[in-house]
Amino acid sequence: MVEITLDDLRKMAPRAGLQLADDELQRLLPGVNRSKKQVAELRALIATESEPAATFNAADGK
Amino acid sequence: MLQTGNRRPVNQNELCYLTITEAAAGFRRKEYSPVELTGALLKRIESIDAKLHCFITLTAELALRQAKQAEQELRSGKDRGPLHGIPIAVKDLYMTNGIRTTCHSAVLENWLPNFNATTVAKLQDAGAILFGKLGMHEFAFGGPSVDAPFPAVRNPWSTAHIPGGSSSGSAAALAAGLCYGSLGSDTGGSIRTPSSHCGVVGIKPTYGRVSRHGVVPLSWSLDHAGPMARSVEDCAIILQTIAGYDAKDPASADAAVPNFRNGIGHGIKGMRIGVPRVGWFDENLGVDRQTETAFNRALEMLEELGATIIEIDGKPFSHARKANQTILVCEAYAYHEKRLQQAPEKFGSSVRRRILEGAFLSAADYITAQRARAVLNEQIRANFTLVDVFATPSAPRPPEAFATMDPNEQNLRPSFTNPFNLTGLPAISVPCGFTHENLPVGLQIGARSFDETTAFRVAHAYEQATKWHKQRPVL
Repeated sequence: MVEITLDDLRKMAPRAGLQLADDELQRLLPGVNRSKKQVAELRALIATESEPAATFNAADGK
Repeated sequence: MLQTGNRRPVNQNELCYLTITEAAAGFRRKEYSPVELTGALLKRIESIDAKLHCFITLTAELALRQAKQAEQELRSGKDRGPLHGIPIAVKDLYMTNGIRTTCHSAVLENWLPNFNATTVAKLQDAGAILFGKLGMHEFAFGGPSVDAPFPAVRNPWSTAHIPGGSSSGSAAALAAGLCYGSLGSDTGGSIRTPSSHCGVVGIKPTYGRVSRHGVVPLSWSLDHAGPMARSVEDCAIILQTIAGYDAKDPASADAAVPNFRNGIGHGIKGMRIGVPRVGWFDENLGVDRQTETAFNRALEMLEELGATIIEIDGKPFSHARKANQTILVCEAYAYHEKRLQQAPEKFGSSVRRRILEGAFLSAADYITAQRARAVLNEQIRANFTLVDVFATPSAPRPPEAFATMDPNEQNLRPSFTNPFNLTGLPAISVPCGFTHENLPVGLQIGARSFDETTAFRVAHAYEQATKWHKQRPVL
């Protein structure tokens, strides 16, 4: 897994419509990388055919 | 001492610490009245809440009006059930018609909803007295709200320590004798953790059991509304009132609502209790030693009561936190996106930092977590062929001190509560001891889907065999 850098966050934030100062992005960085690492670990648990828990139900349109 | 008419004299503090069951019985024996109880609570709040900060909004006038009405109705024989005339307070994310609902945030500091949450309406229909709105972690996420417009709630057992969150006020008010029951909400442990840290009882019911309509969301697919109280039976009484299908909540389950007190008093002889210790309890820093000692003693007590303890694989439970946290931050960011784009400064630093993580995760990350959720659900539920319930500590460590609190602490130890949000399975926290510093420790019992009755049965058997729930903080 490639680590996200402060520079990555600087580029991503405006694309998400967020105006965040560098010190705030710096505080976010460890949490974002921890979250990305967690997702990578979750990928190892799922099989190709695994469907997400939340699915659309045509019967009630929800 | 309070002389209640021609009835027995009752100490004011004793009145404030009655259980709902005792208060309801006392009303009907005419030993005390809803107005007397409401008055006693208001006096106690006036004398001690300045150091605890449990209440954001106290609805004293409404409470006294509702108490008088309940008193008249009970006198005239109109009995609405066990919550009639009982003062209940709710976490400040339950929408209350015309009453400020802040979510402990500057974002909603002066918001007046124009309808009641379904749960609040059900409590009022049952004759409960709405006593006020309770402090919490801002928007039910992050840590204690130290830079919000309202002070952080303090733990009644030690005001230097956190009460746990996010339903901080809901637990602290009960421990301090400032209400008889409360509502909290739980997305990753927010009912059970503060219940554990404050020495009270709280249940996160099955997902869909209690309506979330009118509860400000944190994460739609993980949010649960539920009751907190000073006894297991009181929790069951409140859940009985607020449970049931609600067409206004898309996740509401059209499932039969049993009598949740049916299992209470039946004991646990022959019950198989699964402990997912291996591969989970030693995660990172592991479980605090005093907490694990209290938990192991609780298991010994459950064995003495006739249950069998069975060790099961803890790995799927351990992975659950990763999926829960990923889903939570993605959904929380989606809900708050516009506000964070327009006025991020209105959010406190703790909640802002946590929610903003969701802005940097991808759609594929979110879907991956939802796929893992399905896999882990299957693995965790498969244990029910071997066991009837799960037992764990409610929290991996006792409450931290405000002064030395580490915002990353929750990631350094196993989360015992997250798997039950991810799976939607019901789980209850009941007091199971104290540390050397006199801080409470909780025991968590998780049960099958829509089988809160068994969770109550086990928790009640344990509660009645011990004295932890009878301890009171010195205030």
